[in-house]
Amino acid sequence: MNRDVLVIGGGIAGIQASLDLGEMGFQVHLVERLPSIGGKMAQLDKTFPTNDCAL
Amino acid sequence: MDVGRHPKIRLLAYSEVEKIEGEVGNFRATVRKKARYVDENKCTGCGTCAEKCPSVTSDAYNLGLGKAKAIYKYFAQGIPSAYTIDPTVCRTFQGKKCGVCAKVCQAGAIDYKMEEKTVELEVGAIIVATGYDLFDARKIPEYGYGRLPNVVTALEFERFLSASGPTHGHVYRPTDLALMDALPEVEKNRQKAVKSLDQFEKKAGMTSDDFYPKYEAGELQGEDYDKWAEQVKACRQATEKIETVKAKVDRIGGAHRLAFIQCVGSRDIRFNKYCSGFCCMHAIKEAIIGLEHDKEAEVYIFGMDIRAVGKNFEEYRNRGANEAGIQFIRSRVAEIMEDKDHGPILVYEDTKERRVRQLPVDLVILATACQPSEGIAKLAGTLGIETNDFGFFKTASYPPLSTSRPGVFVCGCAQSPMDIPESVAQASSAAARAAQVLSSFETERLAS
Repeated sequence: MNRDVLVIGGGIAGIQASLDLGEMGFQVHLVERLPSIGGKMAQLDKTFPTNDCAL
Repeated sequence: MDVGRHPKIRLLAYSEVEKIEGEVGNFRATVRKKARYVDENKCTGCGTCAEKCPSVTSDAYNLGLGKAKAIYKYFAQGIPSAYTIDPTVCRTFQGKKCGVCAKVCQAGAIDYKMEEKTVELEVGAIIVATGYDLFDARKIPEYGYGRLPNVVTALEFERFLSASGPTHGHVYRPTDLALMDALPEVEKNRQKAVKSLDQFEKKAGMTSDDFYPKYEAGELQGEDYDKWAEQVKACRQATEKIETVKAKVDRIGGAHRLAFIQCVGSRDIRFNKYCSGFCCMHAIKEAIIGLEHDKEAEVYIFGMDIRAVGKNFEEYRNRGANEAGIQFIRSRVAEIMEDKDHGPILVYEDTKERRVRQLPVDLVILATACQPSEGIAKLAGTLGIETNDFGFFKTASYPPLSTSRPGVFVCGCAQSPMDIPESVAQASSAAARAAQVLSSFETERLAS
């Protein structure tokens, strides 16, 4: 039995899932294909509905 | 971005999952960590290497709209903040003499001999959040994407709007950008010609202006003089070219008439039957920001209908129409043509007037569909989970984030098209489901 979690994909969904599990005390291994995490959302200038910066 | 410094999160960037064995509670995962050729722990992200790197390539983060070096950081605020060498572009990897980045790196982080690493992980649960790819608009030739320079995708337009993008937030047409890019190149050509003229002038002890009429009159003959004359011509041509390009650049005023086309590859029986969900709101958001940048802009959104389903979505749409001044036109655009100055012309049916109309604009923005990511079938095989008819990961109708393999959950656009708030909500849900699985094992263990 192992309590670690593997999260595949470092976009907004993978980041959120990792942070939630990390905060719950689980050890998370977050695997991202590209050199940096952020995914498509990092390419957005501003996000709806408040038009705040994406990052 | 707290992920990089969270004590409980180990980040394996530039890595891919190769193999999954075992079962819920006891999975063994094999992860391949690709070679970055830069030591993540040593690199401070200062950027001197990229500044000095002689190899220029197109910038993937800006969707090829900008320039990047062979040693690059995917984007400025990226985590981890370490640089990466692209061996397909780097001079050292092409067998040429270089090594500039290693010379200038004060941290000694460059390692051309770095090799891929395999990491073995033991985990109890897996969350798949691999996202999506955008539909390739080239598959709809009547819209001219890839052929008409001033037809772009919504994500490309996002980079134009962004202060960190290739235009520093100014909305220019790609043809305008190409012109601006061309200017330094023609100036360089002229400088080259001027330099060689200088050499000829020094050698002969007369100016080119004195020489050329004499040469043309046939007073001066010889191989050297022929070469000199050639250079004089080249220099004059380059000067003319600069004048024409400069005049064109001076006329660039940016893109003022924007047309958004919805459902490009979605709700289209030829490609994807489903609705991609987020594109209507994305177009409205981009249109509002476009109008914030340029209050005088004319902005049109063409679509079958606007799907503003979500908290405050309808209000946002109305704000776009009433306050920002977006014009919504109910129509599927039939074709995009262009005028001689590369200005796109939309051909569409005005469904209210029942007339075919044409609308000239400066820039067309295509709302390309959300599709399963390219490697999804392979990853499904690796993970031993199924995909659905559309190619997204198959999930149970209840509970909705469970895949066909116990202990493996999916969230975000890997499950189906959705917007950011929904992805975040699903991610938290998937995290809770994973925690539940692990905790129930824990409870069983304590009870026995």
